Amino acid sequence: MRPLTQAILYRASQAVLVALLVGMLTFLMMQALPGDMAFRIAAGRYGYDAVNAEAAEAVRRELGLDRPALAAFGTWLWDLMRLDFGTSVISGAPVMDEIRHQLGASLQLAGAALALSFLIGPPVGILAGLRAGGWLDRTLLVVSTALRSVPQFLMGLILIVLVSIQLGWLPAAGYGRPVHFVLPALTLALGLAAVSARVARDAMAAVAASPYYAFGRWKGLSEGQLLRRHGLRNIGVTLVTYLGLQFAMLVEGVVVIEAIFSWPGIGHALVHAIFGRDVPMVQGTVLLLGLGFVALNTAVDLTARWIDPRGRGAGEARS
Amino acid sequence: MSELLKATDVSVHAGAEMLVEPVSLALTAGRPFTLLGETGSGKSLLAQAIIGTLPAGLAAAGQVTLAGRALDLARRDGHRALWGRLIGVLPQEPWLSLDPLMPARAQIAEGHAFVRGLSWAEANAAADRDLAGLGLQEAADRRPDQLSGGMAQRVAFAAARAGGARIVVADEPTKGLDIGRRDEVTRLLLDEVAAGGALLTITHDLGVARRLGGELAVMLKGRVVERGPAAEVLAHPRHDYTRRLIAADPASWPQVPPRPGTGAPVLRAEGLSVSRGGRRLFDGLGLDLQPGEIVGIWGPSGCGKSTLGDVLLGLARPDQGRVTRGAGLAPQRFQKLYQDPPSAFPRCLALGRALDDLVRLHRLDGARIPQLMSRLRLSPALLARRPAEVSGGELQRLALLRLLLLDPVFLFADEPTSRLDLITQAEVTGLLTEVARETGMALLIVSHDPELLSRSADRVISLASPETAGPRLRHQAA
Amino acid sequence: MSITQVDMPLPAARVRPWARWTGAALLALVLAFALLAPVIFPADPLRQSLRHILAAPDAASPLGYDHLGRSLTARLASALRLSLMIAAAAVASSALLGVAVGVLAAWRGGWVDRAASLVADAFLALPGLLLVLIVSAIVPVTPLAFWIGLTLVLWIEYFRLTRATVSRLLAAPGVQASRLLGFGPFYIFRRHLWPELAPMLLTLGAFGAATAIMMIAALGFVSVGMRPPTPELGLMMVELLPYYREAPMALVIPVAATFVTLLGLNLVAKGGRA
Repeated sequence: MRPLTQAILYRASQAVLVALLVGMLTFLMMQALPGDMAFRIAAGRYGYDAVNAEAAEAVRRELGLDRPALAAFGTWLWDLMRLDFGTSVISGAPVMDEIRHQLGASLQLAGAALALSFLIGPPVGILAGLRAGGWLDRTLLVVSTALRSVPQFLMGLILIVLVSIQLGWLPAAGYGRPVHFVLPALTLALGLAAVSARVARDAMAAVAASPYYAFGRWKGLSEGQLLRRHGLRNIGVTLVTYLGLQFAMLVEGVVVIEAIFSWPGIGHALVHAIFGRDVPMVQGTVLLLGLGFVALNTAVDLTARWIDPRGRGAGEARS
Repeated sequence: MSELLKATDVSVHAGAEMLVEPVSLALTAGRPFTLLGETGSGKSLLAQAIIGTLPAGLAAAGQVTLAGRALDLARRDGHRALWGRLIGVLPQEPWLSLDPLMPARAQIAEGHAFVRGLSWAEANAAADRDLAGLGLQEAADRRPDQLSGGMAQRVAFAAARAGGARIVVADEPTKGLDIGRRDEVTRLLLDEVAAGGALLTITHDLGVARRLGGELAVMLKGRVVERGPAAEVLAHPRHDYTRRLIAADPASWPQVPPRPGTGAPVLRAEGLSVSRGGRRLFDGLGLDLQPGEIVGIWGPSGCGKSTLGDVLLGLARPDQGRVTRGAGLAPQRFQKLYQDPPSAFPRCLALGRALDDLVRLHRLDGARIPQLMSRLRLSPALLARRPAEVSGGELQRLALLRLLLLDPVFLFADEPTSRLDLITQAEVTGLLTEVARETGMALLIVSHDPELLSRSADRVISLASPETAGPRLRHQAA
Repeated sequence: MSITQVDMPLPAARVRPWARWTGAALLALVLAFALLAPVIFPADPLRQSLRHILAAPDAASPLGYDHLGRSLTARLASALRLSLMIAAAAVASSALLGVAVGVLAAWRGGWVDRAASLVADAFLALPGLLLVLIVSAIVPVTPLAFWIGLTLVLWIEYFRLTRATVSRLLAAPGVQASRLLGFGPFYIFRRHLWPELAPMLLTLGAFGAATAIMMIAALGFVSVGMRPPTPELGLMMVELLPYYREAPMALVIPVAATFVTLLGLNLVAKGGRA
């Protein structure tokens, strides 16, 4: 493992590169806007009756569509570095405000799904890993392989059809009341749990087969004492690292699930923004998610370092 | 002397196949019992059957009596209650058997707390006393990766004993340790015996068996071929295998008079200095290697033996100094033999194909392969196999064959036999030195075993730093 | 594992050949349907017919008809061909890119390695679905956009694993021995690196294809992927969802096809990793 400052420096350069990448992609997106897009955006903003060539021209200026590409790109990146995302070309509101509005709903959904998946996944995985090859392990393998073959949108579709349409128990869409949480959160959680259970299972099975676990047994420790003293901490790094990588999967899930369940969150807004070619909104949202990933993984690095303070390569210097 | 454990007709099976034939033995307080044997002799399986730690898929039969209780080994559930309380198991390679994330004190204290039922404060104090007794006060708060191999072995010893077990079972306790550490561990085990405990040691190392004394059983292919008091068995072996084993020990190899090399040096090193990780390994080292000369390099773990060889071969850069090769010698005539033979070949390629590749690359005479095969006592059938399907001794000889095709003038052999059994080690080392004499190749051989070097090399270079004085070597140089 | 001390044969690594074969059989089934259906039941997947709206299966279309009377047999086969083709193209290009950059980074080390790793980590920070979405907003032709976007998503895994495997192998004695014997980089790639990389490529390829198919369908389902009336798995589901009560089987067909394809790919991938 690298020294702390170097690790943080690396994450910082990753963050800069992410911003650059997002800036580049969204700039290309803007350059690719069809010619009458300014007109369409103006129409979307002011209504078809009120729109005229002047309004379209104003939009064109606002987006920098009238300047040479390189100069526009420079300004574009400069604005980005100042975290000035501009205004949504569709609603006209500052992008920051829009995101702030939607973020809460998304965080609620993601939090509920994560909590649910962590209640299901790792405990089942740990139990299966402790008895690798046992009935629970084999069942988990079948179930998780099957679940991994059901994309999250399909899981949502299946749950809507079964629970809402067939049984009529829960609303298929909506936001505001606790019942509205059940289906989208469950949809997300099942997919996440299927993977986290496998990750926990593999980590636990490796630890349970390790010489130090056997030695603990020979020292006279019971299975419960073993798990508490030598099991949980040793699978901790794997689980925490996985949590960091799970963020990408969670974001993808949130985008799709919000769109399906009409959840008024950041993912729903992003799909609309892409559909309406609302470049500033797309830029702000994607940048936020990318930097969120970097921030989370920085936290993960630090946590992993705390759980396992060993330097990499230690323990090799023996004959 | 009281009998602490009695094993009757213990055997091990994998399905219908019998891996260890029935053996009976008794462990008494104050007298060590040692099982000696090579790879595949079944010595570890026998011990594992007795203490109930056989891997899944293997079944034991027979009976073990201890502390007034009789255990049927065919059932797997009887041993759990004995571990830590009556039987202390000292594992192989303790640096892997200690929890990598837990400080030494806690790993010992948990035996005191959970098994003996002490409070954590008392257990920690007891662990500190254990560590102090082993001269390891400073290790209490260190994790296993911060311990040396010998320290880890002692921590594991204290942890295995913390529950109060009187019977200690040590499975290859000196594996991976160099000579100094090895003697430390045997002393530790003997102290335990002197204090009235019983000891069962599994080892492949004749030196360990000799030092432990007591009762010795020699195992071969799942059978005990000879047993009796250790001193007697080792001094007057009756079984042919025991004799071969003893003859293969470097300590009993014949002394060969050193023969200085002749002719212009093939390799000359001047003023070599190398540091690794901020530590100076050697400084101002000079070395001339003449054709046919055999030079040994001795030193404890981590002293830079391998690094020196890599510098001589141009695989690593020295901080200072230079290495010059004999004029007009092709680069591929400077070669290296590796410690772990399988890792030196492409993993997924049949060995014959690997040799053919070499013959094609340098337009060599392929007819030399069969000649060399018979010279190195290798079966042609091996060429169709992959590296993992060939034994270590055969593979090391095949690696030698591959090099000999290139008519090497210099060979750096990096602990070429440290992972081989005793008899195979003698064979491979013998072939290596014979070939060096026959072909006039300069051989630089690294080992942590001073006996092996002083009996096969013309001169020995010691890389031990002054503070860790090495054992006395016959032709000390450098 | 050292040679001397192994006192018994080690248990072989758990391989699940049955998983790989089951997966391969499922994929063969899907592929056979996608390729043979147009030959056996020729029909235009876009042709509407009032007479056949949500009609039951008949000889011309054993899977029935959708809400516009189009042949579901023809539409499903066409949708599968589209998804599989994009997935295969994306897997091939991302494998090429990822392995090439991975080998280069591990071999050259130094700043090449650091730069490549940093770029890969920057891509890793962007959730794959978003990357594909943005590229699809830049590139006007949707299948082309999917191919480019998915390549940008999938190359990272190839890169990371190739780099890790190759650095490990290059540091091992085997490669050093071959160099000392006089062998060049091409030999080292062919004999040392490729045999270790090839099995990994198959596993990653199967996982990558599954990811690609999932994303294409997911984007179609939320109406930002392929545009109607193109037959596409996710689009078919969202189109048929409103008619679930009248014709449940029509909805089940694309759902089941997606599941079977993904299951096949996951089994092929898992069989190799076990």
